[in-house]
Amino acid sequence: MSGGEVSSRAVLAAAPGGAVLYQLREVTKRRSLGAGFVLQVPELTIRAGEMVALVGDSGCGKSTLLDLLAMVLRPDGAEAFTFQPAAGARLDVWRAWQGNDQNRLARVRGENLGYVLQTGGLLPFLSVRDNIALSRRLLGLPRQGWTEALAKRLGIANHLSKLPGQLSVGERQRVAIARAMAHQPAVVIADEPTASLDPIRARQIMDLFATLVSQYGATLVLATHDRQAVEHGGFRVVKFVLSQAPRDSSVLARVEG
Amino acid sequence: MARHGLSNVLRLALRDYWHERLLSLCAIMGLAAVLAPLLLLFGVKHGIIESLTHRLLSDPRNLELVVMGSGRYDASWFTTLGADPRVAFILPQTRSLAATMSLLTPGQTGGPAVTVDLIPTADGDPLLRRWGLPTPGQGQVVLSWSAARKLGLGPGQDLVGRVGRMVAGQRQEARLGLKLAGVLPLEAQAQETAYAPLDLLEATEDYRDGFAVPNLGWEGAPRPESPRVYPSFRLYAKGLDEVAALRDTLLSRKLEVHTRAEEIEAVQSLDRAFTIIFGLLASVAVLGYFAATAANSLANVRRKMRHLGVARLLGFATGDLVWFPMIQAGATSVLGVGVALVLYAVAALVINQHFGPRVCPGEAVCRLSPSHGLVVLVLTLLASVLGAASAAWRVAGIEPSEVLRDV
Repeated sequence: MSGGEVSSRAVLAAAPGGAVLYQLREVTKRRSLGAGFVLQVPELTIRAGEMVALVGDSGCGKSTLLDLLAMVLRPDGAEAFTFQPAAGARLDVWRAWQGNDQNRLARVRGENLGYVLQTGGLLPFLSVRDNIALSRRLLGLPRQGWTEALAKRLGIANHLSKLPGQLSVGERQRVAIARAMAHQPAVVIADEPTASLDPIRARQIMDLFATLVSQYGATLVLATHDRQAVEHGGFRVVKFVLSQAPRDSSVLARVEG
Repeated sequence: MARHGLSNVLRLALRDYWHERLLSLCAIMGLAAVLAPLLLLFGVKHGIIESLTHRLLSDPRNLELVVMGSGRYDASWFTTLGADPRVAFILPQTRSLAATMSLLTPGQTGGPAVTVDLIPTADGDPLLRRWGLPTPGQGQVVLSWSAARKLGLGPGQDLVGRVGRMVAGQRQEARLGLKLAGVLPLEAQAQETAYAPLDLLEATEDYRDGFAVPNLGWEGAPRPESPRVYPSFRLYAKGLDEVAALRDTLLSRKLEVHTRAEEIEAVQSLDRAFTIIFGLLASVAVLGYFAATAANSLANVRRKMRHLGVARLLGFATGDLVWFPMIQAGATSVLGVGVALVLYAVAALVINQHFGPRVCPGEAVCRLSPSHGLVVLVLTLLASVLGAASAAWRVAGIEPSEVLRDV
């Protein structure tokens, strides 16, 4: 760990929020696709209220890191990997994975995380309303008024009774954003949420997304290959440095940011 | 959370099932197409066997074991056989030559008397019970239809019984007043017979042997104090299955027995043949349905891998999500059984109406009981849930990170 990284973190610590949400140290994940790929996270701290952008080309490990943060992918090793959505509710993610405590991870995921995928994150057999309400329903939270308010904010109020298949790609992404935020999660994780949209629409949705997240007081972690898209929004940028592993031909990706 | 999880999986599974209703309908019809002919076959088997059994049971003679020739049966014989669980009714019978009586109408002076064979009866007599007739009490008889017709008497009317004997070359006779308790229809008894309490038969026998019967006021020599031994008896088995078994027991004691066991065995072997055929067909069908469900569920889960991955991302626990294919397979079996039962009901109606005139009231060619429907439902549910188990296993292994993106 270099001194430069520490200083950059110190700067970011001054960002709104403050409490440490994610703490990762020496987390590694090996994926055996093709020649092999290893993601290394020497140090990553994400604080509540931050807007973090994971920027890099496809195949650099953005999605792998997102999945690690979303607690759906088991890390191969970690010195520390914790998640603390609220004071006094600290989860040792690494230990939960070691103990194969999948149900606990699923519960924490359901309560604290919202996830927006590039496409196809909606269930095609549920109406827009039910898709948005699903996370609240799963948690047994009251749904009255919530869905409608969110839908109005995202400009999809007149589509609530439709099935996702009847909507345009852009409208579907709005629905996905609404669903990710419906249960007021501590973190919203988005994987290339605007990649399948034209630049103008992408910009609109990205702005709306950022506004909503800051209004709800959530933390946003977003992966994108489009550096420009996040330059204006006040994102903290996390980059990936790729190198060839010395011993074998696998690709080594180090997270820096 | 877990509670919400399972109820939400139920909801998702059913919503998806409805969303793909065309595919679901195909699966339902596929099941119904297998099940309806099976139900129909089983219904016919059940209906025919039940009707035949019903017919056999409706005639008590099918349960009767008639011992040929005469033997010497004492009280201990009747106690032993009476305690046999396969025996429904057993009653001693006196010597047949002594068990006759001439019947006259009251006040009849001339004309021929009607001579009837006396047959002993008691409470629980399957023959009288079958025809809803009362057990004749002291001084009462039940007459066969032909005997009653010759006397021109009906139930409740009085009649006179006359017993004759020769004592030292001298003709003597005794009389007693009787009441007609009931008339047995012709199909139950073609001969001229009278069913009476055993006491009366014993009295008749004693009188014919030259003894006195004090309680009827019949005179003669006093009967020696020796335990009574009977030459024969009336015997009825509990059910059709018991007839052959009881017959074999009696044969093993060197008794010659006449039964209708052959007719019963004919029905039973027909039942067995039906059962074997049905069992073979049903096994093939169950195996096929199991395989179809497994393939269908697996294909479904593969197709929906991504959606299931999304559900995992939303916080659905694996343990809840594995129910997704099970619930859908379960829905198919419930609805499939429902459709099959409707198809069966229509076909059964047609069959019963077509063949209806040839069967007796209360019988049907094709019949299933509600419990059969329940058994079919449970078995189908079991087969489909087991069939979907491999799909559930697949769901349990879903890694959201591997299915969410099109790599």
